[in-house]
Amino acid sequence: MSGGRRLGRKLLGSTATVLFVLALNFFLFRVLPGDPARAGLADPRLSAESVAKIRERFGLDLPVVNGIESLRPLRFGSLWTDPRETQAARYLSNLLRGELGISYHTNRPVAELLGERLWNTLLLLAAGQLLALAAGVALGAWAAARSGSRGDRLAVLGGLTAWSLPSFWLAMILLFLGSQFFGLPLGGRATPALDGGPLLRALDLARHLVLPTITLAIVSFGEYLLVTRSALVDVLSSDFVLVARAKGLSSGEVVRRHALPAAALPIVTLAGLNLGLVVAGAVQVEMVFSWPGLGAAMLDAVARRDYPVLQGVFLLLAVSVVLANLAVELLYPHLDPRTRRS
Amino acid sequence: MSTPTAQRLAAERRQVRIGAALLVVAAVAALAAPLLGPAAPDRPLTTGDVFAPPSARHWLGTDDAGTDVLIELLWGARVSLLVGLVASVISVAVGGGVGLVAGFAGGRTESLLMRLTDVALVLPALPLAIVLVAVTRPGLASLILVIGLVTWPGTARLVRSQTLAVKERAFVRRARSLGSSETRTLMVHVLPQVLPLIAANGALVVSQAILAESTLSFLGLGDAELPSWGRMLSFALARGALSAGAWWALVAPGAAIVAVVLGATLVGFGLEQTTAAATRRNLLAVGSPRATHGRGRRDAEAGSAAAELSVRDLTIEYPGPAAEPVRAVDGVSFDLRSGEILGLVGESGCGKTTVLMSLLGLLPEGARVAAGSIRLGGRELVGLGERELAAIRWREISLVYQGAMNALNPVRTVGSQIREAILRQSELQTAELVALRVRELLERVGIAASRAGSFPHELSGGMRQRAVIAMALACSPRVLLADEPTTALDVLVQAQILDLLRELRDELGLSVVLVTHDLGVVAEMCDRVVVMYGGTVAETASVDDLFHRPRHPYTQALLAAFPDLDRPAEVLRTIPGAPPRLDPPPPGCRFAARCALAVERCRHEAPELRALVPGQRVSCHLAEP
Amino acid sequence: MTTLRIRRIALAWPLVALLAACVQPLARTSETAAARAVVRFGWTGSPDSLHPGLGVLTHSYVVYALVYDSLVQLELDGSFGPGLAESWQRSPDGLEWTFRLRPGSTFHDGVPVSSRDVVFSLELYRRRAEFPFLHGYTTQIAAVEAPDAETVVLRLRRPVPNFESQIVFLFVLPEHVWRSVADPVAFDNAAMVGSGPFRLVEHRRNEYVRLAAHRAHPVAAPRVDEVVFVTYGTLDALAQALRSGEVDVVRGVSPTAVRALRRAPEVEVTSGVPLSPSTTFVEINQVDPLRCPQGGACNGHPALRDLAVRQALAHAAPKRELLDVLLLGEGAPGRTLIPDGLVGFFHTDLVDHAFDLDRARELLDRTGYRDRDGDGVRESPDGGRSLAFRFDFASDDPAAPRAAELLARSWARIGVRLERRAVDPNALAAVRGPSFDYDLLYWSWTSDPDPNFMLQAMTSEQIPLGGNYTGWSDPEYDELYLRQAATLDADLRRRLVWRMQEIALREVAYIVPFYERTVAAYRRDRFRGWRTDGAGLALEDRSSLARVEAMAAR
Repeated sequence: MSGGRRLGRKLLGSTATVLFVLALNFFLFRVLPGDPARAGLADPRLSAESVAKIRERFGLDLPVVNGIESLRPLRFGSLWTDPRETQAARYLSNLLRGELGISYHTNRPVAELLGERLWNTLLLLAAGQLLALAAGVALGAWAAARSGSRGDRLAVLGGLTAWSLPSFWLAMILLFLGSQFFGLPLGGRATPALDGGPLLRALDLARHLVLPTITLAIVSFGEYLLVTRSALVDVLSSDFVLVARAKGLSSGEVVRRHALPAAALPIVTLAGLNLGLVVAGAVQVEMVFSWPGLGAAMLDAVARRDYPVLQGVFLLLAVSVVLANLAVELLYPHLDPRTRRS
Repeated sequence: MSTPTAQRLAAERRQVRIGAALLVVAAVAALAAPLLGPAAPDRPLTTGDVFAPPSARHWLGTDDAGTDVLIELLWGARVSLLVGLVASVISVAVGGGVGLVAGFAGGRTESLLMRLTDVALVLPALPLAIVLVAVTRPGLASLILVIGLVTWPGTARLVRSQTLAVKERAFVRRARSLGSSETRTLMVHVLPQVLPLIAANGALVVSQAILAESTLSFLGLGDAELPSWGRMLSFALARGALSAGAWWALVAPGAAIVAVVLGATLVGFGLEQTTAAATRRNLLAVGSPRATHGRGRRDAEAGSAAAELSVRDLTIEYPGPAAEPVRAVDGVSFDLRSGEILGLVGESGCGKTTVLMSLLGLLPEGARVAAGSIRLGGRELVGLGERELAAIRWREISLVYQGAMNALNPVRTVGSQIREAILRQSELQTAELVALRVRELLERVGIAASRAGSFPHELSGGMRQRAVIAMALACSPRVLLADEPTTALDVLVQAQILDLLRELRDELGLSVVLVTHDLGVVAEMCDRVVVMYGGTVAETASVDDLFHRPRHPYTQALLAAFPDLDRPAEVLRTIPGAPPRLDPPPPGCRFAARCALAVERCRHEAPELRALVPGQRVSCHLAEP
Repeated sequence: MTTLRIRRIALAWPLVALLAACVQPLARTSETAAARAVVRFGWTGSPDSLHPGLGVLTHSYVVYALVYDSLVQLELDGSFGPGLAESWQRSPDGLEWTFRLRPGSTFHDGVPVSSRDVVFSLELYRRRAEFPFLHGYTTQIAAVEAPDAETVVLRLRRPVPNFESQIVFLFVLPEHVWRSVADPVAFDNAAMVGSGPFRLVEHRRNEYVRLAAHRAHPVAAPRVDEVVFVTYGTLDALAQALRSGEVDVVRGVSPTAVRALRRAPEVEVTSGVPLSPSTTFVEINQVDPLRCPQGGACNGHPALRDLAVRQALAHAAPKRELLDVLLLGEGAPGRTLIPDGLVGFFHTDLVDHAFDLDRARELLDRTGYRDRDGDGVRESPDGGRSLAFRFDFASDDPAAPRAAELLARSWARIGVRLERRAVDPNALAAVRGPSFDYDLLYWSWTSDPDPNFMLQAMTSEQIPLGGNYTGWSDPEYDELYLRQAATLDADLRRRLVWRMQEIALREVAYIVPFYERTVAAYRRDRFRGWRTDGAGLALEDRSSLARVEAMAAR
């Protein structure tokens, strides 16, 4: 089947997945125990009238769908209520308008909050993944070129050990060492009240990025190393490698010009997959380094039962995974000409 | 000295053993915990007990509640290991089950299950875990369940693709066609094949699960009553271990997690390696073989100056499984005259490819030229370093490999690969000149110049081979080495390629070494032939002499085994027995064990390659002029 | 080719970043060059809203108190001093309060403050029930009037003692800004125009809040140029930041870090009673199942309704140990809900249940709770249930699990077992009153300057309304509550409140392990003038921030 049709099917599949996530989103967060209107407000100063008003404002007094008053505790209601006056209807109409709702906690639009945070997380991830990719691919290629040797085994062991490190633990240690011995900042994204031009601000941002980026890179590079190595070991047994050497190319040239391009497919697939999944994995790093990103927003939102923010974060994460997968699919034909026509 | 293969296997086994050892230590520690009693002291605590540094009483110091870190570590091992194991069992069971059923059943079941798996994969794992734990009551059971639920999709995907592969294997199809029920086929035939992969993956899931448990406990979502490593870290962070200077509260649990996770990963990784395909040869690590001292005898009948390529007494060894090295090539000598096509014939494993590769200095890692000389245009190649050899490769002597998919890089265009070859020459620099040369080369071998932008898979087999030839000619070499250039091509295309080679030889004055096992090709193409057996030269002769007056018993047997178009109904006479082991090679004639004419002398004394008649040399005691 | 380029770019990042590590001295120099005095105040957490009506977290209130003025001001010793009002009177019947505004107060945009702004603000809080706290403080106000530009008159529905404690939170908003806002509840108030000593310059959620001095403030004009509240994710990072000089002063030092910080020569550590004192307590579910509120579970362990059991638990509560291990001594042993920081209201002569395990065991033995099956846990006299109590605590509280462990160990010695459960904070809030779906619960509260709301939490009336979380009920206490809520005689009220505490302690309504001290720390070489001599410690209050000045060259 042609590339166009295959892409079309992929798009359809991805859309189905996103829709499913949307539905899951809605129900999942209403099954959580606890009342968002009372979130953190179990306090005698909070009058019953206030609670009622708050619930009304957020539509929490509406039934979940026709026939179900609430999911936790499970209470059924009348099937014949106006379908427009349900939480589900509100959720859908908001979605169609492109709104993600209002945060229960801050009373600000969720999209606003996520917009700020998304950029921060993306920045951190891009830096971390690029570093991990570069280091992992370089080391993996190095190891594959001398596979079976001591150096290879050490490299693999190094990669596996790095992969076994819990990110939050590594983050804590690096934070301590980095701030103690290198004077790097203890957290946050920028030094507040910093007067200076964009250059100074950019450098300041870079300073704050160093430790979290290194942390993310260390825990991620192992995977790239292993995948690169295994893909290359495969490729290096191909005859064209021998022919390339016969042409007089050095080992390094052969790896760069022949082997890596041929092995690109699994590496890029992994990178794409990771980009989607690691968004969530940055949670721990964000927490330890006080990096104001999506992960931190999500942890906060879970604690406060801030449904709209939680829904927004989940949706964003799911969509990013889907998009990353799609992007990788789109890249395939460019990486491996053999897939251009199936 | 053991082969790289043996070394690699040993290293892998060691890897698995180290991993297993780490896990065993952790398990023992976990079981030993009750022997050491509770971690918390029995007396009322005071401020001095909080974050006490390591001492004789507390080997790893105390934590923020005055409990002994070491003992707590042991108790924590129980929880962390238990959660890790049980969660991964659930994950592998569910994932493995889904993958097996999906892969085996196919059709709508597969689509549905895979759609489910995809959705599950798309949901962000950690956030989902956090939310799910919050939905249920935080505790051991919910932790285990949640981790299992979040990790199964990875296993499912893996198992499904493996099942798909196994399903197509002959023995499975046979079983099904013989009427075996679906379930039975699945359980009895497919499952055992997939099980090793599941086991390897299972070990990796264990490490994931332990990491996940530590993360969730760290975030406060674990069981409140039971100590675990993640919980220890959570307290260390929340109660300010670092700013209190209590590094031990942080390092000890973290190191424990790393050790156990690494252990499980090593086991899983090691298992995965062993279930994977056998050793891959590393074709990158070919290079200039180290020559030993001593060049060996110089054959009186040199003639080397006149010949394009002159090989004398070439002996090549490389390490094998036994103690003695394998002597793949022993005392091989031949000349390649200018403008001639020299055939190099023999059965698989006779060393002809090794000889060919040695002409380019591309022997595998560990190989050694023990003795002998190779002269290209009068210049000695043995003993040259990589850089010098690299300068010679392709420019003076190039290679035409089998044009199957693998000789050309599938992700690069044909044109770019030819261009790369052209650029080896320092003269042609400008882009236009290079492009011109590419077109020229392609047209010379009969490919339309417009195909320069095509990828190898877009060309037919014959065209690919032509492209390979074009590539080999890029730098106008004097010598062309062709290794089985027509294997895997159909007869008509074979003929075309051979014609092309002959044309090129006539036109460009190439000297060609043609390695083949096909005597028909030899008959058609070659001027002279070298027959190799067991690493030595059995016979060298002109093609005419070889076919009509073979002297060596092996040559005779070869010819007899070759089907004759004129007498198709004859039963083919094969040569009984198998090629000899070469580590070390037998003391006498290599062919003695299979030779019908062999006498006692043949078994003890290796025959020399001597000229019986001018132009024909044989290494056999019994050969007569 | 692309791989190579990607690799080159990717490798450039860390190099740039490492180079950037040299920027730190640059940053500092740029500041001294500008010669601005900026106080960097480090804390964990961040304000949840810039809208004074909607804020819930204490961090928000810290910012509101700096950016806005109220009619009155809470002093460090717990009394109320002049705020926007320079003087005020109360009518003899307590129903009318008259405030005279100080002339010369202006908002940050230059517009003078008048009584119309006060009226507008109070009316806004009164009318919108969506404001969780501020609305509650206005429920007793019947009417607000502004006879002239400098006078505000409040008429109350009934006399309220210590009414200043409620007014102090009614921040005065600029009418000229807020009157044109379409939906005052949804308004983001990003500009935060107020009349306080500081004005908002920049707010980055969960990162920092930047305030600049409002020099036109008639009373509390700051001597520094800016105050920046910087958010850190953990207390560890906070302490490190102080030591490395990244911040000048911090609010909140984990008790375990105190020792190390005290050793640092450039840091001064100080501890004291917080201006908003907090109480940590164990709630005991003792609601009468026969009078269970509508929809409640009321499934508390029946033994907890037995006074002897509660007293035994009180005698076996290791308060000293909890104080030492959790707070490393930075606190005071607890008695009742009313913390020792509420000077005057706190009953100083209360004698607590002594820590006496034998006494506890004897109490239980005497009332028939014995361990009949030898499993180490006693059973109720009728042989029914064993004394195993669910102990719930918030999963996001770092110290709570430790407290649970210590309590469990101590109570195990008298034959009581605890089933400890970490529950996430929202679920926890849901199981308290009016649901009463727990046995024992670990919680903490920050008190208002007036103990009224805390006292109200122990009244019977609040049981069905959800304001009484234990279901404890005592008719004498209820009566005393009504009286203290109505009397304007400060002395009498004090005596009544003391009497109420006696009852609550005797009847073991709660078990209160400790009142936490607040620990603050600041660098000695940056700013001087920190108010550490008051009865209460609050370096984030304007009493410090509007007073400190930079020391000589950095």
